[in-house]
Amino acid sequence: MKEKDWEAPAAGGEAARAAAALARLNLGEDPEEAGRLEGDLAKIVGYMDILKECDTSGVEPMYSPMLDPQPPRPDEPRQGGGGASPDSILEAAPETFGRFFSVPRVF
Amino acid sequence: MAQAPSLASLGLAEARAGLLKKEFSARELAEACLDRVSETEPLISACLHVFRDEALREASLLDAAGPKAERILWGLPVTVKDVYLARGAPTTAGSRMLKGYVSGYEAEVVTRLRRAGAVLCAKTNLDEYAMGSSTEFSAFRPTRNPWDLSRVPGGSSGGAAAGISARQAPGAFGTDTGGSIRQPAALCGCVGLKPSYGRVSRYGIVAYGSSLDQAGPLARSVSDCGLLLAAVAGPDGKDSTSSRIPPEDYASLSPPEPGRLRFALPRELWEARFDPETEKVLRAALRLLEGAGASLEAVPMPALRFSVAAYYVLAAAEASTNLARYDGVRYGYRAPEKSDLLGLYRGSRTAGLGREARRRILLGTFALSSGYYDAYFRKAAQVRRLIHDAFSGVYKGFDFILAPVSSVPAWPLGSFTDDPLTQYQLDMMTLPLNLHGGPGLSLPAGLGGDGLPVGIQILGPAFREKPLLEAGLLLEGLFPRLPEPPLKAL
Repeated sequence: MKEKDWEAPAAGGEAARAAAALARLNLGEDPEEAGRLEGDLAKIVGYMDILKECDTSGVEPMYSPMLDPQPPRPDEPRQGGGGASPDSILEAAPETFGRFFSVPRVF
Repeated sequence: MAQAPSLASLGLAEARAGLLKKEFSARELAEACLDRVSETEPLISACLHVFRDEALREASLLDAAGPKAERILWGLPVTVKDVYLARGAPTTAGSRMLKGYVSGYEAEVVTRLRRAGAVLCAKTNLDEYAMGSSTEFSAFRPTRNPWDLSRVPGGSSGGAAAGISARQAPGAFGTDTGGSIRQPAALCGCVGLKPSYGRVSRYGIVAYGSSLDQAGPLARSVSDCGLLLAAVAGPDGKDSTSSRIPPEDYASLSPPEPGRLRFALPRELWEARFDPETEKVLRAALRLLEGAGASLEAVPMPALRFSVAAYYVLAAAEASTNLARYDGVRYGYRAPEKSDLLGLYRGSRTAGLGREARRRILLGTFALSSGYYDAYFRKAAQVRRLIHDAFSGVYKGFDFILAPVSSVPAWPLGSFTDDPLTQYQLDMMTLPLNLHGGPGLSLPAGLGGDGLPVGIQILGPAFREKPLLEAGLLLEGLFPRLPEPPLKAL
């Protein structure tokens, strides 16, 4: 697909910046990187617009191919499957404070 | 490169027979494979972590207790893609974000492999978070194709496929979200199975697209894939999407009568533009199958025209949700930001995640955001229903769908790294199956005149892996057998 074959849809720079804010991402430290990501997004979303050509009136969306969902198990405390323990989970944290995960001040 | 030593060249079934007859020990077999890993890694970089000491210790323990025929992978070396958590071992998912992460628990598949007696030798390379089709988006290094070291192995389970092809191990586990088992299997000349969604537990596997991801085996033969599936298939109470439909007996397979088989060939896939060598091999494979008496019929599946767009909207949306957990707080990379929580999230995610992962998160967040949700996410899910129903319609009149795996053979490294849309479009042969949810088996159809392997895939109704594998056994017997790969740049 050549650059001029697609029209920059709503997913231009502003939409890319809005999505980045929602996704807790910086578009990029340098403007060149940010511009490239914005351009990629516009081009990809431009291609996705082919979906508009598909008649889906009255079609129920399919969000999973699961045939027989399992019922929820009882809500009981238990040792994590596969051997997880609170200690092993805390060990993987980059910074802890006693038995807690540590984050910058929020107040 | 010298040919692989005989023990490392054995398939799972042959190695199992030798182990049970005590012709060689589990330790000798593990040592042969690990030596082969040491010899070939400088060329192909298939592994991110090699567990030489642990594997040899485990094999010696198995030897000391003696062969156990009821453990179907007893003493057999296997690898897993580096998205499967294994207790006490690192798991990176190919990302800088998880560099140095060691999990305190493990994937149900790994637990079942250990229970079946398998010896875990290595964790294999992949595109970051399984997002890619070439293994070039690994944050650590690209893997190279054993058939031509200047080319990609495919992906995202490229390390798994390259390792199997180079005789590093007789069995491997990968994951397939849009073709990530079947496509690298095809490009590296091995066999890969994507089981039905829900057939194998996803517990303890780093998630990408939760309604599409499925764990499955790669090996050098169809029956070896059956053995690997038999060891891990079946319900798991820790994965609410794992199915309670009982597994079939995948360990004993016999090929069906070709005259009774009806294959549907989707027009939208077979009428794509092919690399000429790939097309020659595929046409020859169809002639062999028809010559054996099977019925092949072209069928229209017009909804497949929308599958790349629908897939990438849904997969990216699910990825943006799944990857929200990487925030620099509970595990993984943490930016040095001290003053502001949002800044900590943004800094950690931007520096820890690679460009392709960030691209897909942005696309997915966009498709899920207010104002665009109905036009993209819901619309893609409706198109998914139409694609699903198209598959179900075909299975009313046919036993299987037969399709190419890739329109091109393995490509030179760097060909598409700056052109994401073209790379997404190359997945058009494999991703419709993940939208449907059924099983698919990719196997070698032959070698092109360029010396590169070409794969073909059989797709079947959900939870009927056994007849699918049996049909695969038939095709495997008809198609030319591949030699060992040269491990050279062509």
